[in-house]
Amino acid sequence: MQMSLKMFFVFFLPALVFGALLYYGVFWNIYIALTNYSLLHPVPEFTGLYSFMVLFNDYEFQMAFERTMLWVAVLVVLGNIVGLLIATAIFQLENPKLRNALTAFFVYPMSLSMIVVGIMWRWIFDPYKGIDVVLKGLGIGSIDWLTGYNAFWSLSLVSVWVYAGFSAMLYLAAFYNVDRSIIESAMVDGADTFTIMTRIVIPNSRQGLLISTIFLALFAIQMFALPYAVLFLNPFTETMVMYVYNKFVSQYFFLASAAAIIIIVVSAFIVIPYAMYGLKKWIVRR
Amino acid sequence: MRWNLVYSIVVIIVLGIIWIFPVYSLILGSIKSLSEVMNTPIYVPPKQVDLTTIAEVANELKIPLANTAIVVIPVAVLSTVFGMLAAYAIIRRQSKLSDTLMLLVAIATYTPYQALLVPFVQIVRSFGLYNTLPGIALGFLIYYTPMAALLMVIFMSVIPRDLIEAAVVDGAGEFSIFRRVVLPVLGPGIVSTLIFILIVSWNNFFIPLILTRGYNKFITLKIFSYVGQSGTFYNRMFAAALVGSLPPLIIFIFLGRYFMKGLMALGTGTKA
Repeated sequence: MQMSLKMFFVFFLPALVFGALLYYGVFWNIYIALTNYSLLHPVPEFTGLYSFMVLFNDYEFQMAFERTMLWVAVLVVLGNIVGLLIATAIFQLENPKLRNALTAFFVYPMSLSMIVVGIMWRWIFDPYKGIDVVLKGLGIGSIDWLTGYNAFWSLSLVSVWVYAGFSAMLYLAAFYNVDRSIIESAMVDGADTFTIMTRIVIPNSRQGLLISTIFLALFAIQMFALPYAVLFLNPFTETMVMYVYNKFVSQYFFLASAAAIIIIVVSAFIVIPYAMYGLKKWIVRR
Repeated sequence: MRWNLVYSIVVIIVLGIIWIFPVYSLILGSIKSLSEVMNTPIYVPPKQVDLTTIAEVANELKIPLANTAIVVIPVAVLSTVFGMLAAYAIIRRQSKLSDTLMLLVAIATYTPYQALLVPFVQIVRSFGLYNTLPGIALGFLIYYTPMAALLMVIFMSVIPRDLIEAAVVDGAGEFSIFRRVVLPVLGPGIVSTLIFILIVSWNNFFIPLILTRGYNKFITLKIFSYVGQSGTFYNRMFAAALVGSLPPLIIFIFLGRYFMKGLMALGTGTKA
């Protein structure tokens, strides 16, 4: 027997209030993106798609868009590779307590604020106080980690450091779900661990790859605090979210909103299919 | 020794060093004297432990730390409670409407909230809460309530139907079913949601940045303020980052399994 509609709303009401504010925000954002609302036009006038024309012709936005997409690519590719390396290593261990402890250890960067992550790595990249001192000592010579375009690559590597553990956790969950009997029968046939990993376990963990890719992409699209903490508003590391923030601070609200719509549209391509797929899992029909 | 264990140990040690190095430097850098900070790289251990910087910075962080706790604890509790109630509604009534609401909740959870900068500020201003602690809390609640609802649906979806159905047949009201049947088995799910939102909201930088002025209303803003003012004295910056991260780090060290459960639920959509 189901709950009555009245009771449904009684229980759902508090969440509905905040959820409604959130969606109100989305629609308000769309509305502002169709106006010329800015410091110069404090009373918004409807201007249709004018803001998107300005946005797409803005070199700063083009760069921010490209850089964000590149960030997605770097984080998805390297995050998956490092995550898979870690997961495979942990999977070889027998002790479940040790496995869990190590998984948590590799996830720990996610429990730190990106501001703190930024401060730590800003100094690791410092030419006089950081890792360059070791590199010079080894005769490798120093690397200008945070100069010009290098900053983008350095910071995207830091984001891999932050999120690879999460990816590893998802892969491990997928590994544990691989049917033990297939693995055991392969072992009976004399297959070594390498063959078992590359032929059976990893190919049967596509679920891990899929989910890990989705989330790494979403994390990259949201990138803000890390580059902001390390280099403030540096043109070489400006992401889409930073562009939105910039335009908001300089009171070009219509541009901030238009860029925000682009972020929402790009993430919707990832989020909506995933949410539809999740819905089937969460709500089991009887 | 089998080769796969060799691989395992090599990967764990090499990556383990990279994973621990930043926090190792952070701790060392915070307990160095000024002269050592001027002359040594961040990873060189101090000859003498000097706690004056930490004490000094901790004193400066008192107000932002208190403000953050005042915002984050109620946010975690309220969003968990609201999420729990909403999740119960979704579980107990299966219709097109509840499916649609659930889908909207999931989309809200996964869509980057940073994109809603302009309307967030607008909403908080229209309630007259700009630059106040309740304003930051409102910003958090708008975003974390749907997330809590999603987590709670995931944790509740494993409760056996028969348990609830039996209570319905006995003629129990919805509130009493919720209290007597659902709540007692939901403990770990509640703790996971609470801990997860506590940690992620404590670490949030963006929402307090856009909703307030100055640095004292939230810890991450305060930590950030040291980046600009400390120049090359990394000890002050490190001490601020360390002291400001202690609450989430301590929670993670002792209750990390709940945080991991929350992450896992959000990631795979299933209870680990």
